[in-house]
Amino acid sequence: MSQTHHATDETLMRYAAGTLAAAPAIVVKAHLASCPACRARVATYEALGGALLEDIEPTPLSATALNDVLALLDDEDDAAVAVPPPLAPVEIEGIRLPEALRGCDIGRWRWIGPGMKMSRVGVPQDPDANLILLKVGPGRALPDHGHVGTEFTYIVSGSFTDRFGTFRPGDLAEMDDDVEHQPVVDTDGECICLAAMEGRMRFKSVIGRMLQPIFGI
Amino acid sequence: MYEASSPVVLEIPPAFAAGRRLAVVSSIDTPQMPTPDVLAGLMMQVARDRDRQAFALLFRHFGPRLKTFFLRWTISSGVAEDLVQETMLTVWRKASYFDPARAGVATWIFTVARNIRIDHLRRQRDPSTLPPDPEEAPETVEDGLLGAERDAQVRHALTALSTEQQTIIRLSYFSEKSQTEIADELGIPLGTVKSRTRLAMNRLRALLEDQP
Repeated sequence: MSQTHHATDETLMRYAAGTLAAAPAIVVKAHLASCPACRARVATYEALGGALLEDIEPTPLSATALNDVLALLDDEDDAAVAVPPPLAPVEIEGIRLPEALRGCDIGRWRWIGPGMKMSRVGVPQDPDANLILLKVGPGRALPDHGHVGTEFTYIVSGSFTDRFGTFRPGDLAEMDDDVEHQPVVDTDGECICLAAMEGRMRFKSVIGRMLQPIFGI
Repeated sequence: MYEASSPVVLEIPPAFAAGRRLAVVSSIDTPQMPTPDVLAGLMMQVARDRDRQAFALLFRHFGPRLKTFFLRWTISSGVAEDLVQETMLTVWRKASYFDPARAGVATWIFTVARNIRIDHLRRQRDPSTLPPDPEEAPETVEDGLLGAERDAQVRHALTALSTEQQTIIRLSYFSEKSQTEIADELGIPLGTVKSRTRLAMNRLRALLEDQP
């Protein structure tokens, strides 16, 4: 699958460096699964991390550090290798979701407005994460909003269009904090997307303001 | 499986005689860095043969670097040593995931350390959460580059950056600081940090695309 809309280099570098917050990192990971080009860029930024690690000034370890770790290898070898159980598909009410959401706490769809449902996703690594699934009917506008901090949206199914183009399954929409945009779901079917916010969202529309208490933000 | 584990560990004396014999590949005492090929060879010995001497050499090379890595994240010295140990034990445990076609040793160990650091942050926030068990397998990449080639390209590109640009890139890998805090530390305006980061990344990208 060849994607049209990608993550920025800044984001992929933060993903590779491990400094991207948990929720955006999940959204980026979902995109990586369907985007060889971004996977290659992540590999490059991980290699950059490796090169920087090589270059770093060494700090002496305690005198016993090596022997301590060697002594622990026996336990490692004795530990039984657990065979992982077969993995159930990640889904919400029968709809297949990206593997990147494995381990997350996916709630039920909740009605948030005409033709619009939302499920808040709990991220075990980060209780404060703002991660949601949105299901929006054909031809409907997503809540009009600007945001504080970058917003990351991965398209699971269907498509939407805003002034930056049409976003299809596998695409990633990365919107900076100063961007106001009004995505409208294309008329050929509903659109499910996974969205993460780095900062608080500020909604402008009535529906948006209704969302705010549900988000708990 | 590994029946000979105990006798082998006894063969490595505390003074680490074996390491001295192989001093050419140990960079702690000499400024000479082991080549990526040597490191990959050691890593393969660990993966295939569960070779403790090879592991010890990797530890001597990467351990002190990993300690600095963790210290940069404002982690105390004692905890940093624990995390170095955890990282190297993961390297031992998951050695079979190391694939020289995908990544060089330094890159692979960097990703292991990165995941351990993220995990450590999470445990600090909520000690009750169970750690996930990442596979430490890098994403599959189909651009036909060998891990070692990619590493060499990146290293070359990094040295071609100005000192200023290298500093900015290093801070974004090894520091929790926001761009605002980086600006304060370097005594330059926030806008300059942003533009310098962008310039450094553009230059890096150009250098990488320039190469065959």
